[in-house]
Amino acid sequence: MSAIHLQNLVKTFGNFTALKTMDLEIADGEFMALLGPSGCGKSTTMNMIAGMEEPTEGRILFGDRDMTGVPMGRRGVGFVFQNYAIFTHMTVRQNLAYGPRMHGKPKAEIDRRVGAIAELLQLTPLLDRRAGRLSVNILQRVAIGRSAIMEPAIFLLDEPLSNVDAAFRAVMRTELKHLQREFRQTMVYVTHDQLEAMTMADRIAVMDHGVLQQVGTPIEVYNNPANVFVAKFIGAPGMNLIPGRPAESDRGLVVDLGPLGVTPPLPDHLAAALRRSNATVLYGFRPEQAAIAEDGEGLTLPVTFVERIGARTIVHMGQGGSAVKAVFDNNLRVAVGEMMVLAPDAASVRIFDVATGKAVGGRHG
Amino acid sequence: MSALTASEAAMAKSTPEAAINRHDESARLGFRLTLPAQILVLFIAVFPLLMQLYISLTDWSPLSGLDWWGAWELWNGFANYSDLASDNRFWGALWRTAVVMVVCVPAEFLLGLALATLFADDFPGKRFFYSILLMPMMVVPAVAGYMFFMLFQSGGPLNDILSTLTGTRVAIAWLSDPTLALIAVMIADIWQWTPLMFLILLAGLVGVPQDQIKAATLLGANPWQRFTTIVLPKMKTIIIIALAIRVIENFKIFDTLYIMTGGGPGVATETISVYIYKVTTQDLIWGYVAAIALAILIVLSIATVFAMKRMAAVREVRA
Ligand SMILES: Nc1ncnc2c1ncn2[C@@H]1O[C@H](COP(=O)(O)OP(=O)(O)O)[C@@H](O)[C@H]1O
Ligand SMILES: [Mg+2]
Repeated sequence: MSAIHLQNLVKTFGNFTALKTMDLEIADGEFMALLGPSGCGKSTTMNMIAGMEEPTEGRILFGDRDMTGVPMGRRGVGFVFQNYAIFTHMTVRQNLAYGPRMHGKPKAEIDRRVGAIAELLQLTPLLDRRAGRLSVNILQRVAIGRSAIMEPAIFLLDEPLSNVDAAFRAVMRTELKHLQREFRQTMVYVTHDQLEAMTMADRIAVMDHGVLQQVGTPIEVYNNPANVFVAKFIGAPGMNLIPGRPAESDRGLVVDLGPLGVTPPLPDHLAAALRRSNATVLYGFRPEQAAIAEDGEGLTLPVTFVERIGARTIVHMGQGGSAVKAVFDNNLRVAVGEMMVLAPDAASVRIFDVATGKAVGGRHG
Repeated sequence: MSALTASEAAMAKSTPEAAINRHDESARLGFRLTLPAQILVLFIAVFPLLMQLYISLTDWSPLSGLDWWGAWELWNGFANYSDLASDNRFWGALWRTAVVMVVCVPAEFLLGLALATLFADDFPGKRFFYSILLMPMMVVPAVAGYMFFMLFQSGGPLNDILSTLTGTRVAIAWLSDPTLALIAVMIADIWQWTPLMFLILLAGLVGVPQDQIKAATLLGANPWQRFTTIVLPKMKTIIIIALAIRVIENFKIFDTLYIMTGGGPGVATETISVYIYKVTTQDLIWGYVAAIALAILIVLSIATVFAMKRMAAVREVRA
């Protein structure tokens, strides 16, 4: 009943197109993350689901009910705003009670529900405090509680954690996931932080410039980016992409990366796909999925910068126009200026078409 | 001296006595810094007040042949004040002033609020109507007075319009009828000052956070519920300010009214300002005028302090 279907959704503001023909199916009880850089149309999509904005074209269905023309107060969605939109002139209790009160629920029931939700979100000791004086971390919980008390079948959260401090963000990631498991709502979660999307979502919808780029589980999106944008955007740091030309060698098809040398032979399915097209390509591999080549066979690059971040060491390399990053353990001994020979893990190599930006060779294991 | 001993010295000093001493010292400095301002306030506020108090205790008038500082020769104690207590014309004027205020200020407030609500949203021609709406406020009150004076003549345009509408010849003598004259005066005040109310309330309304209104809508609040639970509470401070401004201003209602009716017919539209004006210029008993003015000032001050206290309480709650 609370699945969400977005069909051919378009939104324009004047002659600026914020969202271009978006199709997305969100299953009942699913936790879907909308992930993308700022300004890519995530909030616009959410606002249309909530009914705050009317789509320029296309339809939104909840289950099999067409939501076109249904005003926002009647859609039964919970919405947590990025800045929380807490009623600062009320107490925490009045904020939590607002929804049931507006629906004319009896006082005893309101008290019971407020008590329960406050207990769940650890707001009980703060119930009679003025909301205008509370910290961001608490406001965030009040905002969630104020929507959750209505037990909406659909819960929309627009960057709910982007304003809170890092420690609290980690706590809330787990809490939110628990909350969703408990209530089984359909949850749409907007974020520009891939860590949030990766850790919480059942599936991620990656967006850029108003265009839906890829929908998939966190692992799918990470392992098999559908295009260059997703490859670069997902992962920290993103996937290495080096331009090159496919070339035959005695051990199979390789990619000639110019001054960086030639790659190890490509897996069979990639080689098969590339032999058919034979265009200039981007050779892609994840910084985490490359090793120092013991046999000296691989991409040879000078080290330009070494970034040590506690558990890991990120080595930046570069030559000419191409920059490559690789992630190692923190005990790696390396200095700027040294030459490094990198051997990407053969199974994790991905190839993208330069012209279309799309991944070549379909899905991988 | 090392940093450690310096902080130790500071700690040793922060006994309660030391704290009080420091407090005294900074208070003295503050006093010296504000002294010029204090003297200025003394001259522009306190001195005239004392002068007024002094004259109000005498029978002095400019015709008495004495300079004002020599008024003690005409000392009459509190006779002016006891006269005031039994002056029916004074109490009548005060009563009419209150009636005008009780009608005009709420009417201006409600009209202003309705208009502000209308103008908070966009509609075609909004800028044009906005300019039109603000016009009455910019008309010189004396000019507005003449305008309404002519409008309400028995052969004036208002009666002409009523004649056309009803099909019979209407010749109401608006400004000669005690009740109608008071109504006409109130209409003029509402016409002229609703725009100010509108302007202040619009500023307040635009300042209400839109996302909170959206949040309320999403939680199922209907427009009326949104207005009473979000918009009005958020506008509380500005509403109190707007009402305070209009109450104080309306209490002093004079120019438009005086030109329209001169306080007449009889004393039907004689408000407190008109009364004081007449006593000052016609009866020339300035000792008595000073007593009236002082009495009113005291009443207004008490009202203002009360309003300020409420405003402070509201700010406290919102901070
Ligand atoms: N009401 C509006 N009028 C004009 N442009 C808008 C409006 N709302 C959003 N936009 C534009 O649409 C794009 C997408 O905005 P938004 O959905 O808020 O992005 P985000 O992914 O950061 O949430 C942005 O470029 C923004 O400037
Ligand atoms: Mg946004």
